[in-house]
Amino acid sequence: MPAEKENSKEEIEVFPFIEGETIDLVAGNSKWADLYCKWDNDPNVRRHARNIWPHSIEDVKKWFEPSPDRHTREFVVFTIYHKRDKRPIGFVGLERINWVNRSANISAVIGEPDFWGKGIAVEACQLLIKYGFTELNLHKIYASVHSPNARSLRAAEKLGFQKEGTIKEAEYVDGVYHDEYQFALFKRDWFKLNQNES
Amino acid sequence: MTDKHNFTFIQGDIIDLVPLNSEHINIYVKWENNPNVRIYARNIIPRTAEDIKKFFEPSKDKIKKEINFEIWHKKTKKPIGYGEVSEIDWYGQKAFLGLNIGEPEYWGQKIGEEATRLMVEYAFNEINLFKLYACINSANIGSWRCAEKNGFTREATLKKDAYVNGKYYDTFYYSLLKEDWLKLKKEKQVK
Repeated sequence: MPAEKENSKEEIEVFPFIEGETIDLVAGNSKWADLYCKWDNDPNVRRHARNIWPHSIEDVKKWFEPSPDRHTREFVVFTIYHKRDKRPIGFVGLERINWVNRSANISAVIGEPDFWGKGIAVEACQLLIKYGFTELNLHKIYASVHSPNARSLRAAEKLGFQKEGTIKEAEYVDGVYHDEYQFALFKRDWFKLNQNES
Repeated sequence: MTDKHNFTFIQGDIIDLVPLNSEHINIYVKWENNPNVRIYARNIIPRTAEDIKKFFEPSKDKIKKEINFEIWHKKTKKPIGYGEVSEIDWYGQKAFLGLNIGEPEYWGQKIGEEATRLMVEYAFNEINLFKLYACINSANIGSWRCAEKNGFTREATLKKDAYVNGKYYDTFYYSLLKEDWLKLKKEKQVK
């Protein structure tokens, strides 16, 4: 039985959209719904991703329903696919895209805790940020990190984000109100940091 | 004609740009079907009030694909045409600019010029577009003169692109880039 499951996972076709070194950003697949659902609900993952509502597999499957507005959207989400281990391990996306202000919020979730602390979120975000500035032509990318999430804070700094402000006692987590840090990265600053990437 | 206050959205000198008004549906239908008006607007099929009513239905799209204005003549207090910023491509920051003065007695009075100017400012200053384009029938001299007065340049000629009154006419593809529009504005200020 476990062998069958292994095979069925390998038969799922993967469609890379942006290629990286350790990981690729690929299109989501409804066949991974059970994984997405696991990550969404996993207590270790969701306390940082701030999911406080239980999600059923039906809720997850709704993400794959065709949206009425197929052309322009206010979010773009990719599944992070580990190249060597050949498995999806999280998601990364740009959401709350405002086309007039040309800004968006970036978020990344590594759903498999075994893959934490390996620079994967940083790599995924680097690929997504490049996409945001060179393909979507965004002006500014925001990131919100809640204060206890030290890994995310380090990642934001590594990616060149500057802290814009602190929103005090913004998030209620495990009985305590935590501050939220607002970070931002401008296209012009990203181009300076990545002069060889054009 | 209703003297009720209309909801000015963009203020001009001779005209204002206001939201579409469902009370004026019959006027819009009249313009759409008027043989003198529809000839260059490329309306070959009769429009009914039901066709126009569709503009007033709530949009299912989260992100706007088009913006429609009614052109309101301030002095005589009546709607005289409509304008649109449409086929909005948010990724490329560009859109089509359309204009139709539905009341022929208001032609040739620089109204088209002013309406275009106001819509161009809206598109570049308010909704952050980079390029506007217009497809104008070569025989519609008033329209392409109006585009040129606003800084549009003829990027291309689409040959024998439209069949009007038994003949094929070219379509002129005009466009205006924000960077060129800004330069023109500066030059006008210096003068």
